[in-house]
Amino acid sequence: MTRRFGGRRLRAFVRNRTALVGLVLTLVVACLAVLAPYLSPHNPLEQNVYNMLAPPGGTHLLGTDDLGRDVLARILTGARVSLTVGVCSVLIGAVLGSVAGLVAGYFGGRVELLLMRVVDLLMSFPALVMGLMFMAILGPGMDKLILAIGLVLAPQVARIVHGSVVAIRQTEYVTAARAAGAAPGRIIVRHVLPNVLGEILVMSTLWTATAIRVEANLSFIGLGVSPPTPTWGNMIREGVRWLVVTPWLSVFPGLAILVTVLGFNMMGDGLRDALDPKLH
Amino acid sequence: MREVVCVKRWVCLAVFTLGVAASAQVLKIAFDAADLRTLDPHYASATMDRAVVDMVFNGLVRYKPGDITVFEPDLAERWEVSPDGKTWTFYLRKGVRVHPFTGALDGYELTSEDVVFSLTKAADSKTSAYAGEYAGMTFAAVDPYTVTITLPQALSPSLFLPKVADYAGGFIVPKRAYEALGEKFATNPVGTGPFRFVRHVPAQKVELAAFAGYFRGKPKLAGVEVWYMPDVTARLSALATGEVHLIEGVREQAWVDTVKRMRGLVVDVFGPGETHILHLNMTKSPLDNPIIREAIAYTLSRTELIQAIGPDLAEPLCGVVPTYLAGGLSCDEAQARGVFYEADLAKARALLAQAGYPDGFSLSAYITERASYRKPFENIQAQLARVGIKLEIKVTDHSSFHSLIRQDVNPLVHYEAWRPSADAFLTRFYHSASIVVTGAKPDTNFSHITEADALIEQARAALEPAVQAALWKDAQEVILRRAAALPFYVLKFVFARSDRLDYGYELKSTLALYPPINELTSLK
Repeated sequence: MTRRFGGRRLRAFVRNRTALVGLVLTLVVACLAVLAPYLSPHNPLEQNVYNMLAPPGGTHLLGTDDLGRDVLARILTGARVSLTVGVCSVLIGAVLGSVAGLVAGYFGGRVELLLMRVVDLLMSFPALVMGLMFMAILGPGMDKLILAIGLVLAPQVARIVHGSVVAIRQTEYVTAARAAGAAPGRIIVRHVLPNVLGEILVMSTLWTATAIRVEANLSFIGLGVSPPTPTWGNMIREGVRWLVVTPWLSVFPGLAILVTVLGFNMMGDGLRDALDPKLH
Repeated sequence: MREVVCVKRWVCLAVFTLGVAASAQVLKIAFDAADLRTLDPHYASATMDRAVVDMVFNGLVRYKPGDITVFEPDLAERWEVSPDGKTWTFYLRKGVRVHPFTGALDGYELTSEDVVFSLTKAADSKTSAYAGEYAGMTFAAVDPYTVTITLPQALSPSLFLPKVADYAGGFIVPKRAYEALGEKFATNPVGTGPFRFVRHVPAQKVELAAFAGYFRGKPKLAGVEVWYMPDVTARLSALATGEVHLIEGVREQAWVDTVKRMRGLVVDVFGPGETHILHLNMTKSPLDNPIIREAIAYTLSRTELIQAIGPDLAEPLCGVVPTYLAGGLSCDEAQARGVFYEADLAKARALLAQAGYPDGFSLSAYITERASYRKPFENIQAQLARVGIKLEIKVTDHSSFHSLIRQDVNPLVHYEAWRPSADAFLTRFYHSASIVVTGAKPDTNFSHITEADALIEQARAALEPAVQAALWKDAQEVILRRAAALPFYVLKFVFARSDRLDYGYELKSTLALYPPINELTSLK
């Protein structure tokens, strides 16, 4: 027995204006990220020290940074980084967290006790502090950043999946499968997992927004992606020194984060509403 | 008649009160720091700590306020050196008072006993970070106002006087105060300077009060507050609104130009400045090949780097010792000696091809998050990419960066430094004893160069200033010819102040790394 994202729920999602706006915002950012190399008016890495901190306008629509690099080109390239980090880290977190949540929720007993106490322990730290800790251990680099944020998200996924699995394991179809002699692995994969996938999907949109924020925060404090690769976080960080001189250096990437996080959050809320039977 | 007298009294009292308020104000300075580290002058090295120490302590001699090229008397009113150049005798001022402290509420008179104690402390690695500067020296009190310092080998005045000046180990720590306060001395310093320590509010500020018994006269200011504000925007806001009078600025042209345009504010750009030099590790492949190092030298444009920082703040540096020190090598001299490198990409590519790397190669190096290092390093990265050299930059925090480069992990080390003499620059960065990890006294020889040792040692032993300077220049020629280090620029210091603040002297250069505040400083 599986709860699917069928026509009724799709209609509910489409009727939800907030969700639609969120979807459009997300798609626009995703398109800009994918097409960044073709849309960028300049090479985002090309420095021109004879045209530093140029104001918006002319050939540099959003101005230049303190090494004369085009801010628009860097924001577009930063979108690729932010979305890559957001999506990949959520995938890692979802896989790790789902496995832990499924195992703990289905088997119960000592396994559940042990796994969920570890999850509780990890969730007791704020996401940024956890990210800092993992980055300190793993070192700088985009791959490390993705892994670190994935590890930050995994306990949250595990907690939600565990809650759902505890309810599902008591259902008649699971009891029937168990009575028919199905192996635990098969029951989890065939009967339990499909029923929590919808919830994971909904939450993933919200976690993506969280991941983008954590990436921006870690890059802001210098623990994110290495230069010269632009990310919105490190662009804000570099711009902060120039707030008095050229505030747009921080404002434009800040707006990009705002729009993207807003899009994911609105889309996530819409998905949740569409999938929640209590709201119909 | 009585009413008239009474009114006069009130007017007099009001005028007196206003007069006191106007003539003795508290100066507030904001530094780019979260808190102090230590106020023991023999350990203080960060700018915000050096500033407090500078106001609280004195040396036997001092750099003339605002001009580090001139030495003048400080605690010692005069000095002389023996004919063999090994024994220096200092005659102390009489009546120099130590600040009040627990155990001596009126302070006490500083004598040769204190000076000998302080120099002995500075020479002991257990109580000083600058012990190496005093190795082999002995100190003796001839009488309460006479001190002799005996050196293991003769030193020229330009090498010896900085050791007893108002900088680092040369600051004189009063014996009784240090012994009375013990470990608390590092956060509760007691000296003889124009301002005495009052209190430290953690992560906020240090308060100093004018020392009425200061031997040069009572300071014009009532006190100084040193505030810790790591955010530059907050510092500038505080300055613009009059909450503070002097702030540490951003060492970049755009910031300087912007603040200069703000009403009521003045920007001071002053020396001596710190050298920015790229050290090439001669033991790491492919930099162990001198042709590759030469190719890098012909790839990097000093002019472009200076433009990135700002022409008003960065002065070209063509030798590894800046020209404001005796023995510094000017660009003309470097050119005359054939060790002047400027970007020539065709030549760089030809050299790379000759070395077997026509398409370039990859390097990976750590750099600190600090903008004064990171920004030029990012420009270096972009410049190297033009000839196919891919430099991966790993950003880390400042203390980890210093730790990592001393573990010899970087093939390229971009280093910002100030040293008080050509000998200190050359010995610490280019003598084999200073090679990181493996040197006899591991320090900051990141390039692993060994060929300049003999010239550095000969120069140190030379007493004739002209001969000494010539030897220092010869040593630099060897270093540059091997392309062990590529000098780019000297970066000056930037502070912004209210136009009400008058330092009391002309500010050209200072070793305190901030505009020194002394008894002549006032607020209009």
